[in-house]
Amino acid sequence: MDPITALLILVCVIVGGLLASLGVHMIPVGGAPAAMGTATGIATGTVQLMFGAALTGLFTASTVATFFETPSPLALVLVALSGAVGAMLMMSFTMLFANMLYVFGAGVVPVSGRVEVDPITKEPQTPYKTPQTDGHGVPNVSYISGWIGAFLGGFGGALMYFVLKNYAFPASLFPELGAVDAEMISAAAAGIAAAGIFVANAILSAYNIGGTIEGFHDPKFKRLPKALISCAVVSALCGLCVIIASWGLMGGGV
Amino acid sequence: MPFEILFGLLLLIAFLAFVACFFEDAESDCGSQSNPNSQVQLAAQIGYVHRFFNKAISGEPLSNCMYATTACTVTWVLLRQFEPMFPAEKWKAAILAIPLGVLAGEIFHLIFATTAHLGRTSGQSRFQQPLYLDVFYGHLVPIMTHGFMTTFCITGIAYLQANLGTLSGIPELNHPFPLPLLGFIWGITVGSIGSSTGDIHYGTERIFQDRPFGEGKRVVYHGMITRYADCGIRTQKDIVAFCIKYGCPLTGMTFGMIILFENWRTVLGMLGGGYLTAGSAAGAAAAAIGIVIGLVIGIALILGNLYLVRWARKRYGPFVGE
Repeated sequence: MDPITALLILVCVIVGGLLASLGVHMIPVGGAPAAMGTATGIATGTVQLMFGAALTGLFTASTVATFFETPSPLALVLVALSGAVGAMLMMSFTMLFANMLYVFGAGVVPVSGRVEVDPITKEPQTPYKTPQTDGHGVPNVSYISGWIGAFLGGFGGALMYFVLKNYAFPASLFPELGAVDAEMISAAAAGIAAAGIFVANAILSAYNIGGTIEGFHDPKFKRLPKALISCAVVSALCGLCVIIASWGLMGGGV
Repeated sequence: MPFEILFGLLLLIAFLAFVACFFEDAESDCGSQSNPNSQVQLAAQIGYVHRFFNKAISGEPLSNCMYATTACTVTWVLLRQFEPMFPAEKWKAAILAIPLGVLAGEIFHLIFATTAHLGRTSGQSRFQQPLYLDVFYGHLVPIMTHGFMTTFCITGIAYLQANLGTLSGIPELNHPFPLPLLGFIWGITVGSIGSSTGDIHYGTERIFQDRPFGEGKRVVYHGMITRYADCGIRTQKDIVAFCIKYGCPLTGMTFGMIILFENWRTVLGMLGGGYLTAGSAAGAAAAAIGIVIGLVIGIALILGNLYLVRWARKRYGPFVGE
């Protein structure tokens, strides 16, 4: 493996990890309290939700990656954007249908518990909030924050997949398997590695959030710089591990 | 002709996704494996002894991922064994391999359901929470059958996607990921959607049904779950019978729509960009069309949420309780 390829892998993995962390901070997650309408956001864990969205994006990104015979900057951007849109769609549908359950199943209005006025639509929030709760549902500002967060997270995950697929674990590493199986092993190795690095960054960011966050308007969002530094370090270590693994598969490096 | 078969298969995948997530939510209600289970745990600690099933194996995405990946891996191995028996019609091997693979996954599910319920309930003996054996035995089969439906549909989706090109006669459409990895992806996704949407109907409404409707559940109510059913004492079977009327269909619809639109925009991009005829020379156009269609759908969903929130604010008005 030449140094430029190794540097490309390292840089893309770090960028992908940073985008994953940023995405995690932007999705509205309410955890278990949100399932009882006691907190604003989606009623599940941060990592699980972001991971689900990113994997949906990865599914489409891996399909789109097969459209290109040779890697190029344009292919990289299009594959990453396909992953971003896939993750965004998963999150958008989930947030919309969750709101339909809050509105029609529980009879509550989606409101923020952290701001008195929605920063985007300027709608007042406090009069609609149930006392002794931290908000409920996914208000518009959280929805748009989650939309952008999933887009960024999906972009990061697909970016890592494309680089790992074409440079770290290309099909040419497994010539003895035949063309079809070598492509499958290459895609699977890149997919598992990208998902693993993504989830490591998501878990690290989830510790920073501490269970619940409403989106970019939440005061907890200001903790982002610390998470970005940690994620950059962890991603760099993951990137080094990938480079060593790839170097080993290439027979000690040529 | 291949395009008709292709779109038929995509609709079948979307339908299987609807059924998978419908039963995923029903299974989580049936075994109380979801975020509202925190209330079932808390209830005994504040003196609310109950007859609920207490099965929090892990987060729903991870547990469903485990069952689906196990099922897909066993199916994959069996397919490799059975396919040489039907060289001209390999799909026949799937008829036997998929149910056997799913059965293997569900055996894990049953084991974890048993250990989780017994372990958690016996751990609460210090709060005088009994272990009701009729509740334990009576819920295992419903849990396993609901779980079987979910895992079966996920394995079916993974099989169809991995062999989409072969089945529709357009070889480029076979997904590059192997069957177990597709099971992993959709297992995580079906769990995260079931946990995000379906839980709300169980947690906000059904488990606190003796509290006022139309408000978020206050922190002081936590743990004070509704323990009595329309007739007798409530168990998870009463929960699932209620949530299956609204929470489960909406949860199934979420996953079905995601799969439908994800596949739809990719295939439309392939058709519009000319990828299926021109090959990789039209790859960029195909990808770009798919991205633009996805962005248009995403913006439409933002507008849909704006309308829904505005409608709810106007219809329900400000909070009027104490």
